[in-house]
Amino acid sequence: MSDPATLNPLERIAEAPADHYRVLKISDLDGDRLLELSKFMKLSLSREDMLAIQAVYAEWEREPTDVELEVIAQTWSEHCKHRIFGATIEHQIDGQAETVNSLFKTYIRDVSQRIFDSKPGFVLSAFHDNAGFIKLDDELAICLKAETHNHPSAIEPYAGANTGLGGVIRDILGAGKGAKPIGSLDVFCFGAPDTTMDLIKADDVIHPLGVMRGVVRGVRDYGNRMGIPTISGAIQFDDSYIYNPLVFCGTAGVIPIKDIEKKVEAGMKVISVGGRTGRDGLHGATFSSAALDTDSHESDQQAVQIGNPIEEKKAADFVLAARDKGLIEFITDCGAGGYSSAAGEMLEQCGGVIELDQVKLKEPGLVSWEVFISESQERMVLAVKESSLPELRKLADLYETELTELGTADGSGILKVRHHGNTVCELDCSKLHDAPTRHLKGRWSKKTSPVEAPVLTNPGEALRDLFIDFAIVSREPIIREYDHEVQGNTVLKPLAGASGDAPQDASVLRISGSKRLMAMGVSLLPEWGKTDPYAMGAACVDECVRQLVAAGADPDRLAILDNFCMGNPDAEEELGALVETVKGIASVAEVYGAPFVSGKDSFYNYFETKEGPVSIPVTILISGMGIIEEESHVTGASLRKSDSLLAIIGHTSGDLGGSVFARRHGIKNAPVPATRSEEALACYRQYYEAVKKGYIRSAHDVSEGGLAVTLAEMAFSGKAGLEIDLCSLPMDDDASKAAMLFGESPSRLVIEVAPEHLAKVADLFEGFPFAALGRATTTHANLHIEWGKETLVNEPLADLKSLWKNGLARYY
Amino acid sequence: MEERPCALLLKFPGTNCDAETARALEAVGFVTEVLPVSALKPEKLVGVSLVVFSGGFSYGDYVMSGRIASLVTEQKIGETLKDFRENGGYLLGICNGFQILTQLDLLPAGSLVENAGGRFQCQWVKMKNLAPKSPFLSHCPPEFELPIAHAEGRLVTRDATEAAGYVKSGAAALVYVDDVNGSFERIAGLQDETGRVFGLMPHPERFMKARDHYDPDWDGGEGGWGSGYYLFKSLFQAIKEGEAGEP
Repeated sequence: MSDPATLNPLERIAEAPADHYRVLKISDLDGDRLLELSKFMKLSLSREDMLAIQAVYAEWEREPTDVELEVIAQTWSEHCKHRIFGATIEHQIDGQAETVNSLFKTYIRDVSQRIFDSKPGFVLSAFHDNAGFIKLDDELAICLKAETHNHPSAIEPYAGANTGLGGVIRDILGAGKGAKPIGSLDVFCFGAPDTTMDLIKADDVIHPLGVMRGVVRGVRDYGNRMGIPTISGAIQFDDSYIYNPLVFCGTAGVIPIKDIEKKVEAGMKVISVGGRTGRDGLHGATFSSAALDTDSHESDQQAVQIGNPIEEKKAADFVLAARDKGLIEFITDCGAGGYSSAAGEMLEQCGGVIELDQVKLKEPGLVSWEVFISESQERMVLAVKESSLPELRKLADLYETELTELGTADGSGILKVRHHGNTVCELDCSKLHDAPTRHLKGRWSKKTSPVEAPVLTNPGEALRDLFIDFAIVSREPIIREYDHEVQGNTVLKPLAGASGDAPQDASVLRISGSKRLMAMGVSLLPEWGKTDPYAMGAACVDECVRQLVAAGADPDRLAILDNFCMGNPDAEEELGALVETVKGIASVAEVYGAPFVSGKDSFYNYFETKEGPVSIPVTILISGMGIIEEESHVTGASLRKSDSLLAIIGHTSGDLGGSVFARRHGIKNAPVPATRSEEALACYRQYYEAVKKGYIRSAHDVSEGGLAVTLAEMAFSGKAGLEIDLCSLPMDDDASKAAMLFGESPSRLVIEVAPEHLAKVADLFEGFPFAALGRATTTHANLHIEWGKETLVNEPLADLKSLWKNGLARYY
Repeated sequence: MEERPCALLLKFPGTNCDAETARALEAVGFVTEVLPVSALKPEKLVGVSLVVFSGGFSYGDYVMSGRIASLVTEQKIGETLKDFRENGGYLLGICNGFQILTQLDLLPAGSLVENAGGRFQCQWVKMKNLAPKSPFLSHCPPEFELPIAHAEGRLVTRDATEAAGYVKSGAAALVYVDDVNGSFERIAGLQDETGRVFGLMPHPERFMKARDHYDPDWDGGEGGWGSGYYLFKSLFQAIKEGEAGEP
C-alpha cells in the first residue's frame, strides 16, 4: 500500500485501506475538492458546509477522521437539522419583498410559544424531545409524532413504509422516559392507481399501484405485529406523486406526567437495547437529503433498512417495563444517523465515551463509521444508573431482547468514540450542532382569478361522478388490512354505520387509566396548494381541528403537528410556495390556539426524469390530537336515527378552487376559499357546548366533494334517507349551485340532532352561520336535495354507496 | 374473603393482545398473571384454573402461525399442560392463541391457514353459537358479533367430511353466519371433547362494552356490556361453580 500521507482524500478512499478508520487530510483542499469529497463519501454536505468544517478543524489544528465527518454530515443533514426551516429566506410575495429569518422560529416556534403561554400547564413538552406532550389529566400526558419515509418508499415501497412506521413508533418509545404507543396514523400521496405507463417518463420507476400495495402492506405488517391500532389516515392521488410518493407515518403515545422529564448525568451508563447493527441503512439521513433519479433505484438500495417488528416489540415491552420500575433516566431512539445521532443527542451536553467494540453486529468487518452511523432498525439507546444495570439485564432476559453496554456519560462535554483501541472520533458536541445558516430565495405570485361557475344541468350526475373520484372513494380495502381494534380501546373506528363501512372523520381512543379520551385527525389538501399555498395551509389546520372538534374534543385543548414535503428548495417558486404555506398554517393555528408541538420536513422530493425534473407540489400534512372529556361526548360522523333533523354550521363560499368538482370539470385557477378562522373558532366552541349538553347525535365535516358528498356519506350508515333543502344555506350571495353542492369551503360541519333539540342548538348558534337543512326519513332511501321548489339531486343512496365502495376496491 | 380463580396468560415475543385480554379477565373476576414465556416453567401452573393464549404474532408468525410458540410451549410445559387439562383445567386460545392451541393438538385436528381472500381482515363478524352448553358460551346469545383481525384464520381439515363431523359432534362451537375467510363449515371456534379447551379467531376482549361496537346505537341491554363480556363471564362462572362443587 502506498503511503497514505502522499495521497489525496479521494485516492485514499479509493484505496479502501483495511483499517477501521482514517484521518482525512482536508486542510489543503479547495472548495471544489471538498465538494467532490462530500459527494464521494455521500455526505450530502454543500461546499459551504465543507468549508465551515475545514475552518473548524483549522481552528483545532488537526484533520478530521472519517467517523467525525460522517457524524457531522448526519447531524447537519437536512433530515436531522431542518436547515431550510432555519434558513434566511429572501421572499417575494406578489412583488413585495420580505425577509424571513427562519420559518421555524417565526411561524412555528414563536406562534406556539404564545399559545403555550396563554394556556399554562397544557403543553408539557414541545420541539426538544422525540414528540410533544399535552396534558390529558392530572396523571397522564399524550403525545403524537409523525414522520415521512418518502425516499425509501419510492425505491422499496414495502421496506420503506415498514421501517417508516417502525421508526416513528420508536420515537414514541423514546419520548420522555418511554411513552406507550397507543395508535397510529398513515397518510400517503401516490400517483393515480390507473396511471398509464406512458405517463412515467423515467426507467425503473415503480408504478403507483405497486407503490401503493407495497406501502400499505409495509405499514400493515409493522403496525399489526406491534399491536398498535392503525386508526387514522388519508390518501391523496395526483400525477405529481408518481416519481416521489409520500409516506407519512404517525404514532400517538401515553405517559405518566412524572416520566416526561429526562436527564443524562455524569457517571450514567449508556446502553443499547433491541436489534443488532449491520450495513443496512447506511446514509439514510443523507440519502433523504438529496433528489432521486433512475440510478437511485439501483445504487441507494443500501440506504433502505430492513424491518423486524418482533425485535421492536420485544424492545418495547422491555422499555415500558423498565420505565414502570423507574430504571430509565434518559432514552432516545436510533433513527436517522443511528448511534451517532442517538448518542450525540444524549451526550451533547454531558459528553461521554462510546465503545464501538461493545456493539453487537449482524455481520463482521464493519469499519468504525459504519458501526456508528448505521441505521439498522429496532434499537433504542438509554442512559441508566450503573446500579440499575443488574435489574435491567434481568428484564432484557425476561423479554428476550439484547442489552449492550455502549459507554459512559462523563461530564466532559466531549463526545469520544473508541474502536479497536483508537479514539476514532473526538468532537466538542456544542460545535457539532453549529451548521452554517443557509440563505435561500423564494417568490410567489397570485395564481387565481375569478372564473364563471359552470351551469349544472344534471347535479345528480355530477354527484355520481364525484363518487368515483380517487379523492373520495372509500379506503375500506386498505383500512381492513390494518388492525384498528387491537388494544381494545378504539371507540370511534375508521369505519362506522349500521354495517360498519361508512366513513368517519377523526378516530377516538380510550386511554387506559383515564376517564378522558384522545381524538386523532389528519388533513392534507395538496390540490389547493397548487394555486394558493397560503389558503391550503390555513384550510389544513382548520380541517384537522374541525375533525377533532366534530368527534367531541374540546376546541381549547388540542395540539397539532406540521409535516412538510416539497421538491427543490433551491427553486424560487417552490420555496415561495412553502413560505406561503407556513404563513397559512401559522395564521389559523394562532387564532385557534392550536399549538404545534412537533413537526418534520422532507425536501428534495423531485425526480430527474428524461424530460427534466418533476417536483411534488408543496404538501403539508396537519395531524392533531384532542382531548375528549368523557366517553358520552364521543361523536361519530354517521347518521344514527331516522327521526333526526340535520343542520349546517359554517359559511359556504362561492369559490370552487381546489375542489374535486373543479378538477373533474377542468376549472383551472379558480379562487380557493379562505378560512374564516375567527368565526370558525367561535362556532367550534358553540358546537362543543352542544356536544356537552348531549344535543349532537352525529357530525360530519364538509371536505372533499362538498356538502352533497358529506350528506350522502353520513347517510351511508344505512339508517335512513335524507330530505334536504338548501334554501337557507348560509352562503355568499353569488354562490352558484355548484358551489352550494360541491364547493369545499372550510369550517363547515353537518350535524344530526334530535327533533326536540334543534331549537336549542339553533339558539346556541344565534349570530353565527347556521341553518337547518332538512331531516332523515324512512319513506325513501335517497339523497333528496331541493333548492326551494327545484329538485337538485334525487339519487338512491345505495347506488352512490356502491360507487363509493367499489372505486378503490378494483385496484387494491 | 372469597377466593378468585386464577388465570395465567402466556406472553410470547410478539404476543400483543395480552393487556386487553388480561383486563377482560380481571373485569369478570379472574386474578390474572401475564407471564413472559421466558419465565415459564411447570410450577407456574400450580393453583391456576385457566391458561390463556392471547392474540398477536408470536415470534412474528413468519413460519406457520403459532408454530414456534407451540414448540416452545411443548418444550417447556408440554406434559404439565396435558395433565392440567386432564385434571380439570381450562384453556382458552384467542386468534393467535387459537392457532397455537391447534398446533399443540389440544383441539380437534385442523389448521388455520391464509384467508381465502389472501388478505389481513379487520372487521366485525356475526356468529352462531352452536354450543350453548359450553362453559365458554353458556351466557352468550344464539347469535352475536365480535371483531376479527387476522390473515390466517381459515380453518381447514384433512377433508370436508371431517369439518362437517365437527359441526355434528359439537366440536364446532362457533360458526360465522357469512363466509368470512373460507373456513370449512364457516367454523370460527372449536372446543375439545372435554369442553374445557376452546379456541376462536374473533376477539371477545375487544367487545367488552356496548360502546365498543361500531354502531353507537347498538343495544347492550342492561349493564351496557358487549358480547365478548358474556364469553368471559360464562367461563368465570363455570370455573367458579366447578371449584365450588369440588369436595
